[in-house]
Amino acid sequence: MVELNEVFETVNMVSNYNLDVRTITMGISLLDCIDPNLDVLCGKIYNKITESAKDLVKVGDEIGSEYGVPVINKRISVTPIALIGGAACKRPEDFVKIAETLDKAAKKVGVNFIGGYSALVQKGMTTGDKLLIESIPQALAVTERVCSSISLGSTKIGINMNAVRLMGDIVIKTAEATKENDSLGCAKLVVFCNPPDDNPFMAGAFHGVTEADRIINVGVSGPGVMRAALSEVRGADFETMCETIKKTAFKVTRVGQLFAKEASRRLGVPFGIVDLSLAPTPAVGDSIADIIHEMGMEYAGAPGTTAALAILNDQVKKGGVMASSYVGGLSGAFIPVTEDSSMAKAAEIGALSLEKLEAMTCVCSVGLDMIAIPGSTPATTIAGIIADEMAIGMVNQKTTAVRLIPVIGKDVGDFAEFGGLLGEAKIMPVNKYGCADFVNRGGRIPAPIHSFKN
Amino acid sequence: MSRTIVTLVGKDHVGIIATVCGFFAENNINILDLKQSTSQGFINMMMIVDTDAFTGTFDELNEGLDKVGEKVGCILKAQHEEIFDMMHRI
Repeated sequence: MVELNEVFETVNMVSNYNLDVRTITMGISLLDCIDPNLDVLCGKIYNKITESAKDLVKVGDEIGSEYGVPVINKRISVTPIALIGGAACKRPEDFVKIAETLDKAAKKVGVNFIGGYSALVQKGMTTGDKLLIESIPQALAVTERVCSSISLGSTKIGINMNAVRLMGDIVIKTAEATKENDSLGCAKLVVFCNPPDDNPFMAGAFHGVTEADRIINVGVSGPGVMRAALSEVRGADFETMCETIKKTAFKVTRVGQLFAKEASRRLGVPFGIVDLSLAPTPAVGDSIADIIHEMGMEYAGAPGTTAALAILNDQVKKGGVMASSYVGGLSGAFIPVTEDSSMAKAAEIGALSLEKLEAMTCVCSVGLDMIAIPGSTPATTIAGIIADEMAIGMVNQKTTAVRLIPVIGKDVGDFAEFGGLLGEAKIMPVNKYGCADFVNRGGRIPAPIHSFKN
Repeated sequence: MSRTIVTLVGKDHVGIIATVCGFFAENNINILDLKQSTSQGFINMMMIVDTDAFTGTFDELNEGLDKVGEKVGCILKAQHEEIFDMMHRI
């Protein structure tokens, strides 16, 4: 029988420390929608999504209410659209029509984001892949809820530098197409190395081709809960700190496991994975930077931050793995800047630089995430930053990503505001020295030697 | 049996449990267990209740508890028992 103190521990986690289930994401395969006629294709996509996910929001809200832990987001991921639209789309505008269909379907079922406007081009680009990538600036400007992700490299294959260079231009064009809203389009665009097929988090969620027809993936949260637990062991040794993180991660993940199984049962859709990631929000206290501060750093970015993040990431996994029957997705700590008010503060006072963030991505689950940079940053420099991050992922056999927002018309120290969970931050400086001769070489970076395991 | 845990926190005074129990009785909700502690004038209470015979939805149960909470000056919340078992038991 559950005890009084245990019950109130859970109640406190929700009411005082922002414990929530960050997202229930339904993955939907669109492979059976493929058609050479664009109108027929869009009709099939709309019908499949609206039929598959018609009860997703209702069920998510019901579960949240009955168990007393809010489900913040209900979302959808679909098969990479470059594969689905390749036969029907002859120009970028044709892909934009599919993006508009996805947006319409997302609004119809009430989800706040739909991911999968994606192409997997680690090795090379098909005509469809290239058209989709070229359509991204317009697609993200004319839609509200569509998220786009492009896979540019993997440990097994290497890095497609032609695509990296192209994405430098696309990021700038996307920023320009949405410059009225602080280049918000770039907040819905991420590039990956080694992306998981079952990631429930945006903007990088897509439904991999190895997945079932439909699947339920759940992303938990809980930075506030983790910080509160660590505040109870302030000054204790590393063993105590690690044990505290593990135990807390276990409890948080159990909530995700319960919600995933329950959503799966009520929707009649198989359970996929629980993603263990600690995902911050701009809400006060719901911050990875606050956890790093609680671990002993004056501000996130101070020396010791990378070690602290490595501990956090590893202990969260160790605690979380036992709490869920299937763990997947990104599973680690997210370190976005604008979405984490204390991370934004650390960047603002100069404690946290782009280079330190890059170092931190070597030991956590994602990458350079939600970082506002000057709108005048050259496309070649953005491609260089992407190449660096892809190399970290490729060599370390892990997922890395880049979601930079060059805010058109604004410069270092200006304020960029994206609203809601996307947050706000001052614009961070970028290394002013160029890398054009490197990124313009063209071709591919070969896979690293340790990828040859056969 | 559908076991639900109702928690209550607030400033302690005469009649809190009587008012809450009255609400349960009116709504065919059977109390299976009740634990409470008071400290420095504040009360923490949890009740394990059987909601099988309650005819409303879970949202309606929580709305009813909100009204009881207003009456007694406390915060009340109902949650399925499973969430606590999942978090605190291996």
